[in-house]
Amino acid sequence: MEIVREVLDKQVLDRKGRKVGKVDGIVLELRDGRAPRLAWAELGSVTLARRFHPRLAAWAVRWAAWWGVTSGRPLRVPWSKLRRSGLDMAIDVDLEDTPAFAVEEWLRRKLIGRIPGA
Amino acid sequence: MSKAFEVALGIVTSIGGFLEVGSLSTAAQAGAGFGFQLTWAILLGTVCLAFLVEMSGRLAAISKHTIADAIRERFGINFFATVLVTVGLVTLLVLAAEIGGVAVALQLTTGIAFQWWALPVGFAVWLLLWKATFGLIENGVSLLGLVTVGFLVGAVKLHPPLAEVGAGLLPTLPTHDVSRYWFIAVSILGASLTPYLFYFYSSGALEEKWQESDLGVNRLVAILGMSFGGVLSAAVLIVSAMVFQPRGIQIDRYEQAALLLTEPFGYWGFVLFVASLAIASFGAALEVSLALAYLVAQGFGWNWGKGVRPKEAARFSLTYSVVVLLASLLVLVGIDPLKLTLLAMALTSAILPVAVVPFLVLMNDAHYVGEHRNGWIGNGVVLVVIALACVLAVVSIPLEIFGS
Repeated sequence: MEIVREVLDKQVLDRKGRKVGKVDGIVLELRDGRAPRLAWAELGSVTLARRFHPRLAAWAVRWAAWWGVTSGRPLRVPWSKLRRSGLDMAIDVDLEDTPAFAVEEWLRRKLIGRIPGA
Repeated sequence: MSKAFEVALGIVTSIGGFLEVGSLSTAAQAGAGFGFQLTWAILLGTVCLAFLVEMSGRLAAISKHTIADAIRERFGINFFATVLVTVGLVTLLVLAAEIGGVAVALQLTTGIAFQWWALPVGFAVWLLLWKATFGLIENGVSLLGLVTVGFLVGAVKLHPPLAEVGAGLLPTLPTHDVSRYWFIAVSILGASLTPYLFYFYSSGALEEKWQESDLGVNRLVAILGMSFGGVLSAAVLIVSAMVFQPRGIQIDRYEQAALLLTEPFGYWGFVLFVASLAIASFGAALEVSLALAYLVAQGFGWNWGKGVRPKEAARFSLTYSVVVLLASLLVLVGIDPLKLTLLAMALTSAILPVAVVPFLVLMNDAHYVGEHRNGWIGNGVVLVVIALACVLAVVSIPLEIFGS
């Protein structure tokens, strides 16, 4: 599998086919004397920010700490749990258990859900 | 729904939705300044748009991915960020121009300055986005937009010299106001090819769950809908050329443009112009706001769509709410809506390569469109037109801003 072309930035769907986010990063595990091993796919704003600039990632961490809705830690999906589903990637997780959901839920409760007609 | 009805509805909504503040004001300026000479720009823009819209529908029907989705997935976040920033900012200007168009129409009817209308119009746009379904937005507003067919009736009533109009279909060099000529040509191309149109189209195709079997309908709607739409733009140019050019009137303000239809229709021509401007701009404002929210939500892989209630796609709903507010604020500070429109359209031409080239790559990628890849004609036409638009834009925008 060509990791970058076939996995990085692809749409991730949960167990029920709902959108979780895109694959924002890939983590390799370096091992002494052996080839590196693919460890995780990561989804999260800090991971995404790091691909632009480390400073942007530091800001994202601070923002997450201040905001307090997510831990700032990305969703880590073990490589073995990642499945292809057409052009997308499917993971065996419920959307409700992801940081992406925490943000969506916070907005729903605090803002969008309070506007009449939502 | 029968195929024939689908095609008819698609064509009708394309016609009703074609004319918005950009094509209306650029065509009117072209006619006033240069008679029929710039008709070629409308023709070129319309042909290229028909190709792009067809491709957009085909990408969605086959890959079940939108243009924004696919750009992030195929080219990565860094490239997507470039598209997001350039297309996003220019599209925000376009949205401000559309809201400004409605505000000016209200100014023409009430006498109250357009700035005062910025927030009420923005609120009305937002409210409809909040409450209405995708079908209502897409079909309802476009059907109302058929009022713009009045321009075609007006053009016919004025009995234009068809030989001269036909001659305008071939590009010719200007004999006066050279930089103005190219700037308007660029603005016309930008108005025809605003990326929000074909980015929006692929999202719409997904909202309506198009399949491979819809490809035929898609092609027919793209060709016929865009052609009739282009005819409406040309009608505006013709009316303007017949009414304003002989009197040497340049359109510097919307108040002048409002007199376009008074020659063929008298007082009702004024009413028709104001109604066309208001409805067409309002409809476009809805679509542009959605297009911006689609772009952001799809790029980051959020849940999106007008098929769900706002709270079920909270980040998506928040995005369109914010962009409508930002665009309304641009109008509120009193930037001249006509100048804003022309600038937004010209800038659109300048950024076309960023918006279109990655899309073309996708349309040639078997992973996304399988056997339904682009032919050389589609690739060729689109590449030539966007290259031309971009080069002309890079040369003429500085000339227009600093030269005169």
